[in-house]
Amino acid sequence: MSAAAPSAGASARAWVHIPHPSSALAVWRRNARVFSKVWKGALLPQFFDPLFYLLALGFGLGAYVAHVHGLAYRDFIAPGLCASAVMWAAIFETTWNVFFRMEESRLYDAVLATPVEVEDLVTGELLWAATRSLIYGTSFLVVIAALGFVGSPWAIALPPFLALGGACFAAIGLTYTSLIPKMDYYTFFFTLFVTPMFLLGGIFFPYDRLPDWAQVLGWLTPLYHLVAIARSLATSPDALTVLGHAAWLAAVTAALWLVPVRAMRRRLVA
Amino acid sequence: MSENNAAVHAHGLRKHYGELVAVDGIDFDVRVGECFGLLGPNGAGKTTTMKMIYGLAEVEEGQLQVLGMDVSSHRREVKARLGVVPQAENLDRELTVRENLLVQAGFFGLPDEWAQRRADELLGLAGLSARAGARPIELSGGMRRRLLIARALINDPALVVLDEPTTGLDPQARQSVWERLEALRGRGVTLLLSTHYMEEATRLCDRLVVMDTGRIVAHGSPAELMERFGAPNLEAVFLQLTGRELDA
Repeated sequence: MSAAAPSAGASARAWVHIPHPSSALAVWRRNARVFSKVWKGALLPQFFDPLFYLLALGFGLGAYVAHVHGLAYRDFIAPGLCASAVMWAAIFETTWNVFFRMEESRLYDAVLATPVEVEDLVTGELLWAATRSLIYGTSFLVVIAALGFVGSPWAIALPPFLALGGACFAAIGLTYTSLIPKMDYYTFFFTLFVTPMFLLGGIFFPYDRLPDWAQVLGWLTPLYHLVAIARSLATSPDALTVLGHAAWLAAVTAALWLVPVRAMRRRLVA
Repeated sequence: MSENNAAVHAHGLRKHYGELVAVDGIDFDVRVGECFGLLGPNGAGKTTTMKMIYGLAEVEEGQLQVLGMDVSSHRREVKARLGVVPQAENLDRELTVRENLLVQAGFFGLPDEWAQRRADELLGLAGLSARAGARPIELSGGMRRRLLIARALINDPALVVLDEPTTGLDPQARQSVWERLEALRGRGVTLLLSTHYMEEATRLCDRLVVMDTGRIVAHGSPAELMERFGAPNLEAVFLQLTGRELDA
């Protein structure tokens, strides 16, 4: 036998494998099991949040702002808030919760000592965060539909796009989480990225009268695209608009996936 | 012994983290069915060696075969047949005791019904049946360690790797962990165990290596080592080998 085969580890690290669906699903099922115990406490707060925005701005401010693009102001912002419910759900899951599992409870060390590999783990977490987003976004959609804020029956086609948007926010959350050394860094993420995106992502005002640079900036954020899809399907559906924005979300999700896979491998399988 | 029928075959195994050489070219074989010990103080390289075996550290240099497979190219296949009891407790705090076992079975792709039966059986063996619905946080340290061992057995592993399985336990809890490990060995399960307790190594290990600063400084059965160094116990062997006390 030959001694000292050089750097078997380095080459194994450089190679990313296609995830095993059954292993990724096992990670998803673990999270679903936890959620099934705590959903009442977990769903309500995050669910009330967009509802209060709807009340304060839709009814409060809406009394002064008559119409946007021919829509009552509350009908204009309601689909956008549905997109924001998706965003908050995916971002919370892939920031605090994932960081806790990775660094505090060291759960990932246990998971990776089973046949589950890092790519399965990241994929399972991403799919779970998308599922959780779907639950939050769809619940909010049902409420605004019941309140009569949804003008088009095509809104029924919205949930798959909410899941896609959730996956995109999850990919961003996982990327940030996999790269930061400690939890304190979330302050920057929320203050400089998530909150501005929420306020400026096109939920509360239309972009078409803003200067070009602002439109470009908006286009670069995932919320902008999910809001556009939600508003289109909830008001006056346009297939090309919906599919164009969906393509953006899918492309960014796919492109980012590799970042947490590689960063978490470096971090957990040193 | 040839590498093919060894549970673990390590040759020229090396690993460093930055400036620190954690494992510095070690050779050893673990035979099928034996309890093999890695004995040494903190920082000797025991944990790094074990992590390379169970896939939480990349092999940097040398050969490492586990159950006849190269770990770098067959990580998933190797891990499917291992049980791992880590040094730092990493139970799922958001699940109950029984759910910890069920979810673990899921990670191995084991069918649900089978997992339920197996989980109940293992809870019985670990003396945890009455605490099946408790959270890990509600268990004593000894119970948590027994749950970690039960979790490591969910897939009926061919090799169980235990990193300091009794560190931090009181004498009673240590006894109860030892009894379970002896029962496992009695059933022919191969055990690889690291420890810095001489009593533990003497009682459990068929053979062991003494590690210090990433190297193997002696190997043999506990009795052989004591005879070779004319020492009354493994503590004295270690003192002779390194000129230092083994701080437990």
